[in-house]
Amino acid sequence: MESLVEHLERFSEVLAVSRTSHVSSWDPATVRRALQWAHYLRHVYRRFGRHARIRTALEQRLQNQWKQEGDSGPAPAPGLVNFQALEHCDHLLSLRLLANRALGDAAFQYLLQQLFPGPGVPDAEEETLQGSLALLARRRAAVHLLHFNAYRENPVLQEDSLMKTQAELLLERLQEVGEGEAQGPGRFLSSLWERVPQNNFLKVIAAALLLPPSSPWLQGEELEPGSPKTPREGGQELLHWLLGKSDVMTAFCRSLPAELLTSVAGRYPELSRVYLGLLIDWGRHLNYDLQKGIWFGTEPRDVPWEELFSRFQTLCQAPPPLKDEVLTALKSCKAQDGDFEVPGLSIWTDLLLALGSSA
Amino acid sequence: MAQDLVALSSDYQFWMQKLSVWDQASTLETQQDTCLHLPQFQEFLRQMYEVLKEMDSSAITERFPTIGQLLAKVCRNPFILAYDESQKILIWCLCCLINKDPRNSGESKLNSWTRGLLSCILSTFRFDIKEVGLFTRGLGYAPTAYYPGLLKNMVLSLVSELRENHLNGFNTQRRMAPERITSLSRVCVPLVTLPEFEPLVEALLTYHGHEPQEVLCPEFFDAVNEAFLLKKISLPASAILCLWLRHLPSLENTMLHLFEKLVFSERNFLRRIECFMKDLLLPEAACHPAVFRVVDEMFRYALLETDGAPEVLAALQVFTRCFVEALEKENKQLRFAFKTYFPYASPSLVVTLLQHPKDIPRGLWSQPLRRISEMLQEIVEGQTHGSYGGPFESWFLFVHFGEWADIAAEQLLMVEAEAEAPEALLWLLAFSGSPGAGRRQRSQTMAEVKAVLGRLTKLLRSPTLSARDLQAAAGGGRGGDPSPPACGQLTRRLLLNFLLWAPGGRAIAREVITLIAQTDAITHEVIGFLDQTLYRWDHLCVEAPRPRELARELLTELRGQA
Repeated sequence: MESLVEHLERFSEVLAVSRTSHVSSWDPATVRRALQWAHYLRHVYRRFGRHARIRTALEQRLQNQWKQEGDSGPAPAPGLVNFQALEHCDHLLSLRLLANRALGDAAFQYLLQQLFPGPGVPDAEEETLQGSLALLARRRAAVHLLHFNAYRENPVLQEDSLMKTQAELLLERLQEVGEGEAQGPGRFLSSLWERVPQNNFLKVIAAALLLPPSSPWLQGEELEPGSPKTPREGGQELLHWLLGKSDVMTAFCRSLPAELLTSVAGRYPELSRVYLGLLIDWGRHLNYDLQKGIWFGTEPRDVPWEELFSRFQTLCQAPPPLKDEVLTALKSCKAQDGDFEVPGLSIWTDLLLALGSSA
Repeated sequence: MAQDLVALSSDYQFWMQKLSVWDQASTLETQQDTCLHLPQFQEFLRQMYEVLKEMDSSAITERFPTIGQLLAKVCRNPFILAYDESQKILIWCLCCLINKDPRNSGESKLNSWTRGLLSCILSTFRFDIKEVGLFTRGLGYAPTAYYPGLLKNMVLSLVSELRENHLNGFNTQRRMAPERITSLSRVCVPLVTLPEFEPLVEALLTYHGHEPQEVLCPEFFDAVNEAFLLKKISLPASAILCLWLRHLPSLENTMLHLFEKLVFSERNFLRRIECFMKDLLLPEAACHPAVFRVVDEMFRYALLETDGAPEVLAALQVFTRCFVEALEKENKQLRFAFKTYFPYASPSLVVTLLQHPKDIPRGLWSQPLRRISEMLQEIVEGQTHGSYGGPFESWFLFVHFGEWADIAAEQLLMVEAEAEAPEALLWLLAFSGSPGAGRRQRSQTMAEVKAVLGRLTKLLRSPTLSARDLQAAAGGGRGGDPSPPACGQLTRRLLLNFLLWAPGGRAIAREVITLIAQTDAITHEVIGFLDQTLYRWDHLCVEAPRPRELARELLTELRGQA
C-alpha cells in the first residue's frame, strides 16, 4: 500500500512537470518511464476500482495533494484529481506531453512512436492507447459537429445538455471531495466561486439542484457493500453551501430566471424560505411614485417592480404547498403594513392586487 | 510502385481541390459532398500513409511539397475527423512528417508546425465550448474529461426533442423544422458508428415527420445500412424495418451483400447463410409485405441472371423457411395472410407447399408430393395457365419450397424395385430442373430419369457393385443420344442420393464421386448437394445416422480439396 501511495505521489509530480518547460531535459528514457508509470496506475485503477478501502485511502491522498496544489496558485493544475482520473492518467500524460513545445525532438519522436505505432499492431490486452486517443479525437469532432450543426439551447435550463453535463460533473466532483474530507465540499465550492465565471456557475448550481436524485452518472460507480461511510449526496452538499453563503445566495436569486428559481424552490423548502425572504426584503426597498403611480427603487441595485412582480407571479403558478406559502407570506406582510385595500400605500397590497387580477 | 505513385498523385490533386472547396464554404452542399466522399477519402488517406511511411520527412516534402497544406485542411474538417478511422490515419500521416533530428531551421519549423497540428486534433481548445471548458477546468478535470458525458447528454436531448416533435408536431414552440432534421441526419453520417449515437440513429429512423417528403438525407440511410451490414452498429429490428421501408436502396444493398456472400465467402455453407440472414434481420423484416416483395423480386432477378444458380436457389429456400418461421412467431393465422405475400399464386397450391414435411409422417410424404405435382402440372400445362402466370412464375413459387423437389428425388429411389416410378414425382423432378422446357422436352427428361432409376434399382440387388457400373447406369449408358441439358444434373442428384442411401452405394461413394467430379463446376455441385441435404435432414429431423455420417465426411473431404 505504501509503495502504491508513493508511486501515486511520484506520478502526480510527473504529471505536474509534464506541463512545464522542465520537460526540455527529458530524453526518450524519461518519456518511457513516465508512460510506464501511467500504464501501471491505470492497471491499479482496473484492479482496485471496486475495492472501497484502497479506493478511499487513495482518494484521500489525492485530495490532500490537490489541496496543496490549489493553495499554491490561483487555479489548481488539472491532473490527478480523483481516483477516477487514474483510468485516464495515461491519456492525460500523453496529451500534455504532445502539447508541450518544450519537449525535445528526440523525446517527442519517441513519444509518437509509443503512442501511435501505426496499423497492424495487435490490441494487446484491452484497448490500445492509440485506439483510445483516436476515439477521443473522434468524440471531440462529434461534439463539435453536434454543437455547431444540431444543438439548440434548451429553454428548460436543467435539460440543456451543456448545463446538464456541467451539473453532473460538479456533483460527481463534490461527492469525491466529500469522500476525502468532510469539510472538503464547502471549501472546494468557495474556491471554485472565486475562480470560474460566476454567472455560468450559478446556472450550473441550479441545474445540479434540479437533476433527478439518482442521476445515471452517479450510478456507474458503486462502492462495494459495507464501504466505510456513505458520503452525503453532492446535491445536499451544494445546497448546504449555498444557504450558508448569503452573497452567493443573493446573486443566485437575483440573476437566475424566475421560472428556474421557482422550480428549485419547489424542490427545496429551505431554499424557498430564503428566496421568499429575499424577495420581501427587496420589496421593502421600493417606494411609491404618487404622480406616476408606480413603485420604484432609489438605488441602482434595487429590484424593479416588474421583476419583483414576475418572480412572485411565477411562484404563484407553482403547485400548492409553494404557492400557498407565498400567498400566506404576502398576506402577512400586507397585514403588518396595516392591511390596506387601496393601491399605492403598501407594496404588498399592490402585489396581491396585481397577482389577483393576473391569476 | 511507380504506377501507384502516379495514380496517387492524381488523386492527391483531386482531394486537394475538394478539401479547398469544403474548407472555404461550409454550406449545406459542401457538407453533403463531404459526407458523400468520406469512405473514399479515408481510403486515400490510407494509401497516402502507406507511401509516406516508406519515406523520411525531407523526401516527403520534396515529393509532396503541399502535403502540409493538405493535412492541415483535414485537421480543420470535423466531418473527416469524426469519420470511422480517418482521425487515426491522419495522425499516422502527421507522425511521418516529424523529423527526428532536424538539421536546419526549415526542418525545425516543419516539426513545430506538425506538432501544433497533432495537438490540435487531440487536445487544444479550438473545438471547445468556452464556458464548459472553463468550468470543467475549474473543477479540476482535464479538458477532455467532459466529452463522453456531454456527447451522451447531447444525444439524449436530441432524442427527446425528436420524440416530442413526433408526438406534437403542430406545437410550433419547440418544433424542429424539417431542415433542422435533415441537417441533423447529415451530421450523423460520419458518426453513426459511435456507440453513443445509437439512440439518436434509432430515433431518427423511427421518426416520421408531418412532411409528405423524406426529411432524412440519403447519405444518412446509406451510412446506417453500411454500418449495419458491417455490424458496426446494433439497432432493434423495428428501426431496421423503418430504414428499409424508407430507403429502398438500403434494402437492395443488403440483398446484394447477401448474394456476394453466397457467391464468394460463404458458398455452400447454408448454416452460415441462415445465421447471416437472421443477423441481418431479413426474415423478420420480410414479415412486412413491402419488404418481402422487394426481397422476393431480388431473388427472382438473381435467379434469372444466374440461370437458376443452385446457390441462389438454396438461399431462397433458406430465406423462405426462416421467413415462415418469423411469420408464425408474429401471426398464427399466417395461412390466410399468404395472399399478401404471393398475390399471384394459386392459394391452394401455396397452402399445400406451406405444409411442413416435418408435420407429416415420412411414409405419407408422397401424398403432398403428388398433389403439388398435379396442381403445378395443371397450371403449367393445363387450362388455368393464364390466371397464375406462366411456367416461370409457377416454378419460382415452387422453388421457394424447393425441399419438396429434394424429397421427391429421395422418394423415387425408395420405390419398390418392381413398381413403376410414379409419373407425378418424375414430372415434379423434371419441372424443378428446367422450368423453361416444353412439354415434349419434359417428357424426354422424364423418360431419361425413369431409365436411370430403373438401372439404379436393378443395381441395388447386385451382389458386386462397382463404381464404373454405377457411373454407367447414371448417365453414360447410351452414347450419341443427346440428353436434355438439365438431365445431367438430375441424374447426378439421383446417383448421389443412391450413394448415401444404398448400403452398397456407401461403400464405393468416394470412388464414384472421384469418377463423376471431373470439373470444378461438378465438384461444387456435389458439395452444394451434400450441404443442402445435410441442412434439410437437420431441420426435418431425418433419422439416418449412416447416410448422415457419410455425407458429413464427404463434405469435409471435398471442401478440403476444393
